[in-house]
Amino acid sequence: MSSRESILGRIRTALAGDSPLDRPPAPEVWARQNPTTDEMSERFVREIEAVAGEVHRCRSMDEARKELLELLSQLDQATVGAVDRPLTRELTSQLAPDRIDWGAPDRPAQEMAQWSASVVAADCLLADTGTCMVACATAYERLMCYLPPVSIVVATAERLFEHLPAAWDQIAPRAADPAVRGEFVFITGPSRTADIEKILILGVHGPKRLIVLLIG
Amino acid sequence: MSDEHIDLEGAPFLKDKTAGLYEPAGSKTLEQSAQRSTKQNRETAASIPQWEAWREAASRIKAYALSNLDKLLVEFERNITARGATVLYADNAQEANQHVLDIARRHHVKTVVKSKSMVSEELELNHKLDAAGVRAVETDLGEYLVQLAGQRPTHIVTPALHLSAEDVGNLFSEKLGEPFTTEHQKLTDIARRHLREDFLRADMGMSGVNFAMADTGTICIVENEGNAGLSTSTPPLHVALMGIEKVIPSIEHLPIFLNLLARSGTGQKLTTYTHLIHGATPGKELYVIILDNGRTNVLRDPASRMSLACIRCGTCLNACPVYRRVGGWAYGWVYPGPIGSVITPHLVGIDKAGTLPFASSLCGYCGEVCPVKIDLPHQLVHLRHRAVNEPSPMNSLRQRVTWQLWSWAMSGPKRYRAAMAMVRLGVRTAKWLPWHFWELGAWTRGRELPQVPGRPPFRDWWRKNGAQLKPQAPHTETSPGDEQS
Repeated sequence: MSSRESILGRIRTALAGDSPLDRPPAPEVWARQNPTTDEMSERFVREIEAVAGEVHRCRSMDEARKELLELLSQLDQATVGAVDRPLTRELTSQLAPDRIDWGAPDRPAQEMAQWSASVVAADCLLADTGTCMVACATAYERLMCYLPPVSIVVATAERLFEHLPAAWDQIAPRAADPAVRGEFVFITGPSRTADIEKILILGVHGPKRLIVLLIG
Repeated sequence: MSDEHIDLEGAPFLKDKTAGLYEPAGSKTLEQSAQRSTKQNRETAASIPQWEAWREAASRIKAYALSNLDKLLVEFERNITARGATVLYADNAQEANQHVLDIARRHHVKTVVKSKSMVSEELELNHKLDAAGVRAVETDLGEYLVQLAGQRPTHIVTPALHLSAEDVGNLFSEKLGEPFTTEHQKLTDIARRHLREDFLRADMGMSGVNFAMADTGTICIVENEGNAGLSTSTPPLHVALMGIEKVIPSIEHLPIFLNLLARSGTGQKLTTYTHLIHGATPGKELYVIILDNGRTNVLRDPASRMSLACIRCGTCLNACPVYRRVGGWAYGWVYPGPIGSVITPHLVGIDKAGTLPFASSLCGYCGEVCPVKIDLPHQLVHLRHRAVNEPSPMNSLRQRVTWQLWSWAMSGPKRYRAAMAMVRLGVRTAKWLPWHFWELGAWTRGRELPQVPGRPPFRDWWRKNGAQLKPQAPHTETSPGDEQS
């Protein structure tokens, strides 16, 4: 008998004679307040700063482009890795082509580890926790969230949700689609640890800085 | 199960490795860190009006999941397989290790980067990989420190809770040849530099699983450091280890657990990284190993079953006065604290771990703080009951004779008086002995012998003076609510 059958068999024996329980509904977790986009933007900024993230509110794509150039001029001049989305294409349209890399399947991780920053687009922003949800379809897109020391996330304010449960109506069906692969990652601040004496230190393995460009 | 690394015979709390009892410095770091966590947890719970409703809802979802475990596992397997993953089952640690070794061999793996997984600790996997010539590197900072020091984790969320910055500085200078420092930032940078090389070199990444969603075939991993992100995305191969109890019915149920786990475990609103991994990432391979290793024993005991609802937040450890004093190693196996004391006897056998449920003052705080409402105090009592009635160290001939003698001596006034007289005599005599025999020796290594109760005993005094005392009106100065314990 395979382990699969023996484990399932033991479970069935253990549960035999149990009275069946009703399947619990998805709990509400947080009530919906339906705040305005402005209120959510303000909350998002406050929350992400509380977890040591940085955020720049930009009125337009033009302003975001300027902000990006300014940010990158402060970093070392190594390559910036970008994840290919309409929003990141627009944002980086003024960067010198040799400064930016859109990833290729054969790009070795050793090389990407030398890059100065990454630019990714967030699918959802959660206001009450200061969280960016980034949908990654490939290993390269996943790596861009963790490998470079500076992580730049761009998003439009219309992707703001008041909290995780409010965004879940959009996220859950996408996660359930069998054709979807890769990863949805919820990022709440730069990489951190408190493993030595419970003292908080930023940038242990992942990005040391998380910078959100919030447009609109 | 590899017996060579389990040391649960007898009473682990009496053994030398119970460092906290004899080394005040060792337990100070632990005590302070645990206190910080408990305070954080209390504040978190107090700041959320619906905290109790969350706990209740989470507990009901887990109860449902456990009572439908066979169906949910099959559903999860079907859905994640459809998304390109390979699912393997393992009855026990040996089989799980064999699965990992086979995968490593097939892919010519030389280096494995591992993010934190309690199941992996349970399997003693690193030893097995080492023996097969595969280098296994723990990448969670706390696990990395513990691995470098050749120790075991002392806590399930913060494995190096017992190490001070000075200890870490010494460790890095000794093992990595780095200049000694006690600055937390510098220590963290050193670890980052060394582990980066391992991430980039590794041919296989391993992780645990926090939640496995049956209806979507998604696995959820939460973390703060980014090491789970790197471990699961840098190498071309990802092997995820999970206990059978990690499956939840639906992705709809996930948000409440994410809320509870982050807030209970570390006092965060959400962990820094929450990964939802949808099967195998294109171009990569994903294996999910589903482990029993004694968990069906827990399922079979209705009074213990809900301990499988544990989401490994570590709150009950921090809350436990016994854990705070003795630390994680004293529990003798992988899962310490109150939750360890209720699951370990099932996972390794009551005959081996029957003493663990007695490592508690039954103060009840663990049950109060558990985010999924596991009734830990009553489970401890239930397992005590089992331990004295089934083959276990608590049911040895010596234990039985001792307690039957005690019971006999306590059940008659004359016998009681005679026993007490002997105790008084015995304690007074033992004080002058240069050595302390039997269990007394273990007991007095860390403690002073108690003072002999005053003479004459209260009983004698009462017989002489009790009749002269008149009953007095009870005190009325304080109102009943003023009493504090």
